[in-house]
Amino acid sequence: MATFKIKKKRLKEFIDNLTKEYRVFIPVESDGVASFMEIGDLRFDSYNTDRPPKEIFFPQTEALLTYKEGEISSPEQASTEKIAIFGVRPCDAKSFSLLDRLFGMEPNVAKCSEYKDTYWINKRTNALIFTIGCNHPLSTCFCNWLNGGPFNKEGTDLLLTDNGEDFLVEHCSKNGEEFIKTKGMPVQKATKVDIKRASSIRKKAESTLSKPVDITSLKEDLDNLWDNPVWDEIAYKCLSCAACSYLCPTCYCFDIQDERAGNARGKRIRIWDSCMFSLFTKEASGHNPRPSSKERMRQRIMHKFNYFVENLGEFGCVGCGRCIRSCPVNVDIREIINTIKNVKLTVSNEK
Amino acid sequence: MQSLENELKECARKLLTEKKVDLIIGYKKGALPLRSTPCFIREEKDVDSLIFDFTCSNNLATYLQKSKLAEHRTPNTENHGKIGIIAKACDARAIVQLIVEKQVKKEDITLIGIACTGILDLKKVSDGLDGKEILNYKLQNGEVLFQGKDFKKPLKLSDILCDVCKTCLNPDPSVYDSFIGEPISGAKTEIVDKLEGLSPDERWEYFEREISKCIRCYACRNACPLCYCEECVVDRTNPQWFGKSTEFSDTFTFHITRMLDTAGRCVGCGACIRACPTHVDLAPLGIKIEKEIKERFGYTAGLSLDVIPPMATFDEDDKQEFIM
Amino acid sequence: MSTKKQEYKKTGAQEHKSTGTQENWQPKIIAFLCNWCSYAGADLAGVSRIQYPPNIRVIRVPCSGRINPIFVLKCLQNGFDGVLVSGCHPGNCHYISGNYYARRKFAILKTLLEFIGIEPGRVQFSWVSAGEGEKFAQVVEKVADDVKKLGPAKRFVKRI
Repeated sequence: MATFKIKKKRLKEFIDNLTKEYRVFIPVESDGVASFMEIGDLRFDSYNTDRPPKEIFFPQTEALLTYKEGEISSPEQASTEKIAIFGVRPCDAKSFSLLDRLFGMEPNVAKCSEYKDTYWINKRTNALIFTIGCNHPLSTCFCNWLNGGPFNKEGTDLLLTDNGEDFLVEHCSKNGEEFIKTKGMPVQKATKVDIKRASSIRKKAESTLSKPVDITSLKEDLDNLWDNPVWDEIAYKCLSCAACSYLCPTCYCFDIQDERAGNARGKRIRIWDSCMFSLFTKEASGHNPRPSSKERMRQRIMHKFNYFVENLGEFGCVGCGRCIRSCPVNVDIREIINTIKNVKLTVSNEK
Repeated sequence: MQSLENELKECARKLLTEKKVDLIIGYKKGALPLRSTPCFIREEKDVDSLIFDFTCSNNLATYLQKSKLAEHRTPNTENHGKIGIIAKACDARAIVQLIVEKQVKKEDITLIGIACTGILDLKKVSDGLDGKEILNYKLQNGEVLFQGKDFKKPLKLSDILCDVCKTCLNPDPSVYDSFIGEPISGAKTEIVDKLEGLSPDERWEYFEREISKCIRCYACRNACPLCYCEECVVDRTNPQWFGKSTEFSDTFTFHITRMLDTAGRCVGCGACIRACPTHVDLAPLGIKIEKEIKERFGYTAGLSLDVIPPMATFDEDDKQEFIM
Repeated sequence: MSTKKQEYKKTGAQEHKSTGTQENWQPKIIAFLCNWCSYAGADLAGVSRIQYPPNIRVIRVPCSGRINPIFVLKCLQNGFDGVLVSGCHPGNCHYISGNYYARRKFAILKTLLEFIGIEPGRVQFSWVSAGEGEKFAQVVEKVADDVKKLGPAKRFVKRI
């Protein structure tokens, strides 16, 4: 398998060409918020965006169907546009592969959801993911705790490593391989020197990450902690907003609403929802089985580190650190994981 | 002279050991260099984790709301007991407003006021450092020296404080049980309308730009101590007043409604602005409303326990120049 | 820089409102009238055959104090070009003090709407008593005139 490289100064031209066939999304900073947009100045040096790229395939507000004067249409489902995302980080690319299984896109993979979300599948199929590896992980990055890493290849078609003047390019999927072969990306073969340099950059990047906490038993630990008072300690300061869920690349809960303009026209839309809202589980009778931040925080942690493992075989967190950066009261999920591990130790010591 | 934090810790320790309070709500160091985080202290041994500095961005009065207090019953206490709460002047005003609105009983609270010279605006810091990650900082001589992986840069403190802090008209709490530090009186400036001098069209463009960033996470509403409705109007579905999507007019209506509902009750602490994960800046809206309330009805929220909030009362001679 | 993702970044004319060409566009104005004074005044105008512009659609409320500012915002969202709220004169409220509370609410609402850039003149308030049929007609005349000059409302309209 050959490794390639592309000169950084040829990137702009390459992306411009890409737009002829694809809708291309790049990480852009606007007014203090970095997100994936179609037009703007590409920033390579920044860390992962503030807003997660899941919103490209799973927008916060999406029309499921539209009706107008008796005719029903579903443009989002029928769309044939091809999407390319350039500049995703490995954590976010991994989130795509997790959500692919969740939305039923990979029925041949063991532990895939049976439900097929045609809206996600339609956009994701034939989408091209160019991942840029992280030479400088942030102090809030903990992808290495979760079987990820700054140059992890899951969910990626083409992995780029910033090698100084150029990017090393490796294909990580059939689509990626196809693309290099046929589409005329202005690449050259990488030399042994290039590959060696990239390898030392990667080693350095991996060494800057904080030492991973061993979470192989986290799922089983959580199985036994449902009634433990540790949840009070974990959730006391949570404000029950949705900052963590909405900015999380693997959160996917949604609500469906109908909106109409008079009687002749309207839309059925789906909008992001969050289990952190108290309204999420409020029942028609007025009863709420998750009445306080404690039950809701427990739900969130259980979902990410227990139910996801049970249903899809993997932790539902990619260690991107967005929740840590965005939480208004600085809830840190890494602290929560450590607290849970310590409780488990005390519980087992007492036994 | 004792440092502010030591004075604070002593006060907290005394209150706990003399059993004057069962719970202290304060700040402790957060997981990131420029963040603090709320802490709930019930035992004297934990008092040493208390801090107070310009990273203390939350308005802790929000934890006094009935619904939030109800959630913090621990297995061994029937109710939360008496609470000592650390409050900057603006937070103290929020607590006073909550008492005036009968959400909290004065006898249940020990208000520990603390001298505050302003809170950091993290967006300004990030802009000043071109988005680079901060690993460490040092405050000296009106400047903050920020340090990252491969950079060291000083920023003037006055450039990175929140706008609402820089124009704080009431830096000393008027109602409190204890006060930590030295009063700041004399630091009054006029509230500056950031959008003053702009035409209506330019103001509309400003709000359009800001509102488009909103992701309807309601961090602002939940961080606000005065937003305590058991069921928020934006959550009602029968009837549904607002759409819940990120459609522009629905989002804008939510923010306007929230500002109108807190009219005459907002203390201008800025906790909502700082809570926002996408840096939506709606401070000018809140500031404009409170300025209008002060001009028309001569009222500022949270300065006295003996008042009726302006929107809950009337004067027969209220100005009505705008009514035909 | 425009983005497809943020579809609602720039406001524009609503596609679903075919309000005709510029010349023959007629504004749609909603009028919240308190039952005891303003609605009766409007009725008197009608009975007295006083002509006033047909652009208003009336909603009768028990008292001007019933008006929640959300109603006004929703009217703008639904595409109304103007909103009129009218109640009893201060001191004459059928419920004694409803209009006093309303007065404070309206003052803050009006300040806020103008501050965010909604054209002054779209949302207006008046006191019209049961015997002021003539005044009611004049009020409607003024509001319709003001709104006609401002053109169709675009800024706050919900796009579905």
